[in-house]
Amino acid sequence: MIQDILTVTWKELREMFVQGDPRGRSKMSLILLVIIFGIVLPLQNGREWVSSPTSILVWGWMPFLWVSGIVADSFAGERERHTLESLLSTRLSDRAILFGKLLAALLYGCILTWIILLVSLITVNVAYARSGLLLFSLPLSIGAILFSVLVSGLAASIGVLVSLRAGSVRQAQQLMSVGMLVLFIPLMLVQFLPSSLRQSLIRDADKINPAQAVVWVAVGLLFLDGLLTAVGMVLFQRSKLILD
Amino acid sequence: MFAIRTDNLNRSFGGLKAVDGLSLEVLPGIVFGFIGPNGSGKTTTIRLLLGLLDPDGGKAEVLGFDTQKESDQIRARCGALLEYNGLYERLSAAENLDYYGRIWHMSKSEREARTQQLLTPLELYDRRKEPIGRWSRGMKQKLAVARTLMHRPKLVFLDEPTAGLDPVASAALREDLESLAQREGVTIFLTTHNLADAEKLCDQVGVINHGQLLAVGSPEELRSRTSAPRLYLTGKFPPEAIEQVKANPLVRKMDKHNSRLVLDLTDLSRSYEIVSQLVQAEAQIDEVRKEKADLEEVFLSLVEEEKRGGK
Repeated sequence: MIQDILTVTWKELREMFVQGDPRGRSKMSLILLVIIFGIVLPLQNGREWVSSPTSILVWGWMPFLWVSGIVADSFAGERERHTLESLLSTRLSDRAILFGKLLAALLYGCILTWIILLVSLITVNVAYARSGLLLFSLPLSIGAILFSVLVSGLAASIGVLVSLRAGSVRQAQQLMSVGMLVLFIPLMLVQFLPSSLRQSLIRDADKINPAQAVVWVAVGLLFLDGLLTAVGMVLFQRSKLILD
Repeated sequence: MFAIRTDNLNRSFGGLKAVDGLSLEVLPGIVFGFIGPNGSGKTTTIRLLLGLLDPDGGKAEVLGFDTQKESDQIRARCGALLEYNGLYERLSAAENLDYYGRIWHMSKSEREARTQQLLTPLELYDRRKEPIGRWSRGMKQKLAVARTLMHRPKLVFLDEPTAGLDPVASAALREDLESLAQREGVTIFLTTHNLADAEKLCDQVGVINHGQLLAVGSPEELRSRTSAPRLYLTGKFPPEAIEQVKANPLVRKMDKHNSRLVLDLTDLSRSYEIVSQLVQAEAQIDEVRKEKADLEEVFLSLVEEEKRGGK
């Protein structure tokens, strides 16, 4: 089973990173992402980039952005390019195919986030380090890595569910974009709150123990990841996929 | 043991019976052609045999495994080239084969050796590292056949392998399939509406229409069983000679096209009687040829019979 999952993951990553146009994102756009999030934004934010606790939100948000862009293709793309039925007629089990695709999307999100994290650290150090290295604090490092995995998992499991049901890649991508918008509307709305209310929210947020908050959010994300993956397992039916 | 055995297999989609009471036995080691027009139930039959769809009724066994209870065992032992070639166009030819080799847990050295073994006779080995997106349809189809055989399956399903190919590519692929089938020694279940494919490749043929099996046998048997022995004559035939021959009880059907006379006889061994009757009626005969109908004519007559309700 593990070998089968890794086989599916190998093919997915091969298509994403190595050959041709990785899921509509050219290699150039990947480089652009690294430049924007690994160089431009850290230069703008300066030392805050590594010291501010709010930067954890960035590391939590980024993988969702990467993964939602590619995961819509997982099943809808195979269906659209007429490769799904051939894949379903192999010896691979339903779970190996599903988990292989989930793992590929998760690894894509994590690898890209970690590369950007590393590049941004180098950028901040080259531009702003005066005496000694500028590093993320330990809770921030753990939070960033943990959230990149869990948020990638969340985006992957939502994306696979959407992709399983969507009629085309375009439809799946549109649904993912709408989902992302819904997810981030509350964060965007914060800007429009009266300043007194905003200040009070920030004061309340400061009272929260960051380590405790990271643990609670991580547990919530883990639960969601598990739940959505379980739903994916129920929805993945060979005969249904063939007839779709 | 049969490679494939179905017993009164049924499958409907809404009110449409895609497969209707299909009972079939396919011996191992042969090329079995499943011929029928578009929408006759060929693809649905393959999907049922691979366990990708469950039947509404009846039973099927492939390589001794029940298609409903042991479909994973079937898929582990079979290869399938379905309606679409299913190739990953962003990957190279070698990577496409490599992926399927990995799926069947072949080692790296095995995968490399098998890739060379399969692609060399198809004249694709030198181009194995190219992404296949820009390959011609014929080349992709050859690669898809190679991919189907990658893991040395015991039984291969090929759904319309020459569909959409030009006549040259189609003939080339047919030759490749013929030599691959001989070299690999696998059972091949081939669906096609290209009767030339069936005639040249298949040891046994089943004719299906509207989900019903109309006839099964070797192409030779089908020609003998379902069509009258045929006599072809060329020359000059006066109207009286034509009238006399038409009235002969040996003649079931007669067609005249310019200087060509085609006669379906009840007994081909008595064709000399027709020839002498024509000569006596002052016909000038240049050529006489006895022949059985080709598979296309057999197929059309079976479909015609089915339409008339006389299966």
